[in-house]
Amino acid sequence: MLKIKDLHVSVDDQEILKGLSLEVGEGELHAVMGPNGSGKSTLGYTLAGREDYEVTSGSIEFEGEDMVEMEPNERAAAGVFLAFQYPVEIPGVNNAYFLRAALNAQRKARGEEEVDGVNFLKMVRASLTELEMDESLLKRAVNEGFSGGEKKRNEIVQMAVLQPKLAILDETDSGLDIDALKLVADGINRLRDGKRSFVVITHYQRLLDYLTPDKVHVLSDGRIVESGGPELAHRLEAEGYGHLERASA
Amino acid sequence: MSVLAEKLVTETAAKAHSGADDHQSIHDWGRQRLMQHGFPDLKTEEWKYTPLRVLEKREFQDQPGTATTLPSWPVEGVVLHFDHGILSIDPATLPEGVKLTPTPSDALNKKDYDQIYGQREGAFAWLNLAQFQQAWHLEITGEQTVIIATTTSGAFEAQVHPRMVIDIASNASLNLIEYQRDLGQGLINGTCEINVAEGAKVEHLICRQNTESVWIQRTDVDVAKDADYRVVAFDQGGRLTRHDLKVHVKGSGANGEIDGLVLLNGRQHVDWHTEIAHCVGQTNSREAFRFLADGSSVGVLNGRIHIHADSDDSHSDLNTANLLLSDDARINIKPELEIYSEEVTASHGATIGQLDDRSLFYMQSRGLSEAESLALLKYGFAAEPMMQIQTPEIRDWVLGQLKEVL
Repeated sequence: MLKIKDLHVSVDDQEILKGLSLEVGEGELHAVMGPNGSGKSTLGYTLAGREDYEVTSGSIEFEGEDMVEMEPNERAAAGVFLAFQYPVEIPGVNNAYFLRAALNAQRKARGEEEVDGVNFLKMVRASLTELEMDESLLKRAVNEGFSGGEKKRNEIVQMAVLQPKLAILDETDSGLDIDALKLVADGINRLRDGKRSFVVITHYQRLLDYLTPDKVHVLSDGRIVESGGPELAHRLEAEGYGHLERASA
Repeated sequence: MSVLAEKLVTETAAKAHSGADDHQSIHDWGRQRLMQHGFPDLKTEEWKYTPLRVLEKREFQDQPGTATTLPSWPVEGVVLHFDHGILSIDPATLPEGVKLTPTPSDALNKKDYDQIYGQREGAFAWLNLAQFQQAWHLEITGEQTVIIATTTSGAFEAQVHPRMVIDIASNASLNLIEYQRDLGQGLINGTCEINVAEGAKVEHLICRQNTESVWIQRTDVDVAKDADYRVVAFDQGGRLTRHDLKVHVKGSGANGEIDGLVLLNGRQHVDWHTEIAHCVGQTNSREAFRFLADGSSVGVLNGRIHIHADSDDSHSDLNTANLLLSDDARINIKPELEIYSEEVTASHGATIGQLDDRSLFYMQSRGLSEAESLALLKYGFAAEPMMQIQTPEIRDWVLGQLKEVL
């Protein structure tokens, strides 16, 4: 599904990713862990196509297609979704209107029929209920005045409605209390259908208690320095990232 | 005589056509004051961001334009259509509660225009007084909806000086839409006085979209005891637009509100000078204005709150947020608070910024194209002042237009 080879990415002429390689197969959930400043969020933004994240060398293939030159909306239509670490507030833009416009823009790009208001509401209401979110959030502006937890849960609602093939979750667990963390994890697990793939970027092992990753990768100084099974996350939780920094030093 | 005075101060249309001028004395008064004070230039504080070069270069031709058509309205109401400055219906046919009559000269002569218009800064109001063809008096009783449509065709290259006084009777209610579409290349220079009597309510929409015209307008509003005046302006500009809007809150319990949205593009120039004056205490007001400036356009907002002496328990807030959409666009914002009473609350806030790249990326990452994301972001920003329109049908009508243009 996703093949990243020797990826180098610079932001403002500073190289952040320095030869990152990663392969995520269909239906797999990969966790990417690592200390602050290791390049985790850069990976998320680069996959979603943020303009100022420049790919200087290497390749990103999504379902066999080169993704580097694709616009963010083309990536979305192809099935890539990034749950933001800090979801953006958009004053004046109604949450439901935005999500339906986004869904229909993707569907239109794929040559599919647009979803009407009634069916859209059915879809979004089901997700809201599952994530224990008040329906009144639909009438408010996108993320405006939402609590930190509501913003993160709103990302999962968007993911559930947009039904991506590959979801990248950038520290979706940060700032969540234990109940909200379970709700978000349940939301992700409901979407695991054996075909949809996930890249879960996180600092901590606690989200992985609920998600059961197929693989865990450790990112340090812009490269994946270690990969393993779920046991790697437990080890990192016990030992921390200090040994990586000492090794790279 | 200045270039502008030579171009603009001419024989009035009435005198040119019939040899007589029913308003000779008031016209002379206006002309004399205009000559005495002169037209403003960039050294005139109230006009420092709005040069009149466009007007100086313009040649005016007094030729008839072709008849214009009007859109379908969102609400039922009395339509007063001024097509190239000429009223296109017979005022005698208006329904009960809406009375439109020419103002007699003696009524016009009674006003202290020196106090109202001032000097050079009020030159265009003096010009209107010198040149108006008809001074209309609109009287409202009961609950009414009135649409005043002022339109011109592309062939219009003349100057027109509309003049109207609107009296809203005690406890009456008026939904007023001023619809302005000037497709010509002339000058529209209007003045309008609105008197909101005790306990009356006015919801006022100014919906303007011009092309190459110069449009100068002055609106003076007096709000009496327990009366409520709320105006929302949706201004899509023109080559040069200047609107002086002065709301005088004159009776206890009165409320005055101004909301505005200005969309600018190309080389448009729009200047709004607003003033809310609290003349007595126990009064409220608020103002919120937004400009979105693209191309090489220029937006100007001078928003003034003036709380007079002995006006304790007055409350006012002025807020303006603005978006620059191109490197060449300019927005000049000047909030002013002038307060002579102790026990009041008055605040102001002003921001000028650009569209947020993070928001744009967020929307694109969900599947919207860059153009769709930009339009939605601009709409989100622009729609807020329009949400103050109280009548849902009118609000939806305006929001529909907004969606179309963004």
